[in-house]
Amino acid sequence: MTTPALQEKFQTLVDEHKKILYKVCYSYCRNRDDREDLAQEIIVQLWRSFASFDERCRFSTWTYRIALNVAISFYRRENTRTRHVLSDDEKVLNAADETANRSAEVQALYEFIDGLEPLNKALILLYLDGNSYSEIADVVGITETNVATKISRLKQTMREKFRGVARA
Amino acid sequence: MLDLDQMKQQWVEHDRKLDETIRLNRQLLSMTNLHGARSTLQQMTAFLALGAIIWFAIVVALGSFIYANIGTFRFALPAALLDVFAIAMLSTNIRLMATARQIDYSQPVTLIQKQLANLRRLRIRITQRALIAGTVVWAPAAIVACRVLLGIETYSVAWLLTNVAFGLSLIPLSLWVSKKFGDRMTQSPFMQQLMNDIAGRNLTKAQNFLSELSEFESEKPI
Repeated sequence: MTTPALQEKFQTLVDEHKKILYKVCYSYCRNRDDREDLAQEIIVQLWRSFASFDERCRFSTWTYRIALNVAISFYRRENTRTRHVLSDDEKVLNAADETANRSAEVQALYEFIDGLEPLNKALILLYLDGNSYSEIADVVGITETNVATKISRLKQTMREKFRGVARA
Repeated sequence: MLDLDQMKQQWVEHDRKLDETIRLNRQLLSMTNLHGARSTLQQMTAFLALGAIIWFAIVVALGSFIYANIGTFRFALPAALLDVFAIAMLSTNIRLMATARQIDYSQPVTLIQKQLANLRRLRIRITQRALIAGTVVWAPAAIVACRVLLGIETYSVAWLLTNVAFGLSLIPLSLWVSKKFGDRMTQSPFMQQLMNDIAGRNLTKAQNFLSELSEFESEKPI
């Protein structure tokens, strides 16, 4: 496949899976400019790895792996990066008014995810996006039993957290 | 009470709305942008490659110096010591580059994060050892530099001891400065990283993350 054709195919696939990028960026970065930086970094890494993409795999699984790996690394070095403000033309993902239209439950979910450790953020995102335990295990690299145990623990943590909020 | 499974329905609805609200800037994804951009790991590899080229040039230059001064023990010996240091630095740069190039982000998250944490730990240890070795080779470096730049033919024992003492004094001084000011260097991420590497903060963070990863991978029943 020629480079322009490969580029076109890549853009179409990324466009179809842009929601994954958005949710990963939103879950790992509080700051809007950081989210944009992360989105660009994920896309660069996706493109760099695209030539070796095995078409027998699902593009979403492959995207999750790369996006989460880049996001966790980004999150861990957040305090040692130079911040810069981007104009709208430089932003790769635009979601006008998305946060304003969120339901209270979705906002509460994002806040819950925000308080989790980076690896648990990955688990809960994959779970909420409807992936099976087997698919989550495949992306994260742990056993299905371990995924089930951790998801169950996260559900418990969430119940306790919101019970506490309700009481307060 | 909010339950994760109940909220999953809301998440599905949120996911559906995202289809309508998110716009991907395809123009920004043009070939020029993608080809010109480098991932963080590639930037690090490029930086290491530049370092390897510089160290290789130093090894070659020191080799020429040793050859030119082979009969003069007082210059050939310090240059040989420096050359050993430069060769060690060159090989560690190549080792880091090789490790970085093997990292494939499309592999499972825990595997890649472990590889990245190990790479980070290796890089920090090399920085710390380079600092200690660098202060030890300060005196031979001063001898060679004085010979090359100023043409100095002899050096006294007192001069030599002063430079050794100066080099060694830099170890506690750099440790103190890094511990005291490392976290305050917010204007320069490079300096902040270097000082936190020297102070050992980044090594502790990398080790803690490796422990976190091991714990995450282990199955603990509820």
